[in-house]
Amino acid sequence: MGDKAGAYGTSGGGDTAFRKTWDREEYAQKAAERDRKQKEEGKARYEAALEGKKYRRRASTPDDVRETEARSSRLDFSSMVGKTMLVPAGAGVGKRGRGAGFYCEACDLTFKDNIQYVEHLNSRQHLAATGQSGDVKRATVEEVRGRLLWLKRKKEDDARDVVIDLDSRLEMHKEREDAEREEKRRKRREKRKKGKADGEWDLPDIKYENDGII
Amino acid sequence: MSKNNTHRADERALLDDRGYSGALIRGQNPALLFEKGVRDRIVDSYYWKEQCFGLNAATLCDRAAEVKFVGGTTGIMGKPTPFLCLAFKLLQLVPEKEVILEYLNFSTANLDYESDDDHVKSENGDEGPSHSNGVEDPNAAGKMGEFKYLRALAAFYIRLAWEPVEIYKTLEPLLTDFRKLKRRTKDGFAVTYMDQLVDDLLTKDRIFATSLWKLPSRANLEDLELLEPRESPLEGEVEALDMD
Repeated sequence: MGDKAGAYGTSGGGDTAFRKTWDREEYAQKAAERDRKQKEEGKARYEAALEGKKYRRRASTPDDVRETEARSSRLDFSSMVGKTMLVPAGAGVGKRGRGAGFYCEACDLTFKDNIQYVEHLNSRQHLAATGQSGDVKRATVEEVRGRLLWLKRKKEDDARDVVIDLDSRLEMHKEREDAEREEKRRKRREKRKKGKADGEWDLPDIKYENDGII
Repeated sequence: MSKNNTHRADERALLDDRGYSGALIRGQNPALLFEKGVRDRIVDSYYWKEQCFGLNAATLCDRAAEVKFVGGTTGIMGKPTPFLCLAFKLLQLVPEKEVILEYLNFSTANLDYESDDDHVKSENGDEGPSHSNGVEDPNAAGKMGEFKYLRALAAFYIRLAWEPVEIYKTLEPLLTDFRKLKRRTKDGFAVTYMDQLVDDLLTKDRIFATSLWKLPSRANLEDLELLEPRESPLEGEVEALDMD
């Protein structure tokens, strides 16, 4: 809009800061990008037509795609066994959205069965939603060797912690129980102390007008 | 991304009806070494879906270290054991020869790992006492390697995938390994030994719910001069008995 000078040479009347301003470079770049993409797609379509095939526009792989790795821990299904939850009316029906069952947050799907859930976690849909490529890196001999050494060390550490003697196991158990009992006693004492500071009974304070005199 | 340094996390490419294009074992798809029924049961099992997804040769060692028994399928429904699922995973991965030898012979007897050549050539691990003489001493400190189920798994894979001469050369030293293994049969458990297992692999027709492809007998290979005649570790004892 130039220098906002009016037809009579005076400067623009008053405050025009409310008008939206556009960043021309950014939009010029966007337009160039769009033109380039259209050209590429046109070329791809032309080449496909030459071969007699149909051109299909595929979603490109994102730049930060990760390689799939093996699960490091077991899936835990036993934590919800026996619990009762209040769910909305449509919870039992269909897969989409949060409902009763095993829920996958990345894909917003619920599964009623743990096998279905695990199958979903392995599926292409879920891998795409979590940004994994579904390829696993091949291991070299050195990696295998390192892994075996690490496993051996882990096994040794675990074996060292195991106490076989029954008497010492009983002692450890007794110590643990004593420690827990101490903790409970401490908490109870703290609560009681706090209770005494506020007043024995937890009654609301009733205020009388005129100090109760009728 | 070259095809050589990744492989797929799931088994779909292996079992694709449209065609398999990957490493071949004896000219065919590795999965065909297992029968169709067994293959289906493995692939539908929970262990395969949860634990065998996205494994490579290194992370497979974690799973193999947790395996507690060998076996094929168990029970009326033919539930596959974790051992069998891992064997199928090995068939999918088709690891290199060095990796399988590492599984077979990993031991930390001498903690300095110098070269790769030691591990490719020596079949017994670098145990000090047994390394000096060519014939394996049956009374050598037989605790070869930490993970005996991993060793059993590697032995099973070798029997399925490698050539006869290599099978004999690699598995025969294992006949000195006398460790106990727990074996899961159709109903219940049984005890077996590593050398018993290797002997079954070399002589029997069916093991772990698969029928093993026919191995030419040692006599045949010796006649064809591909193998040296076997020197048994017990030969000295047998001769001593004969002399008595």
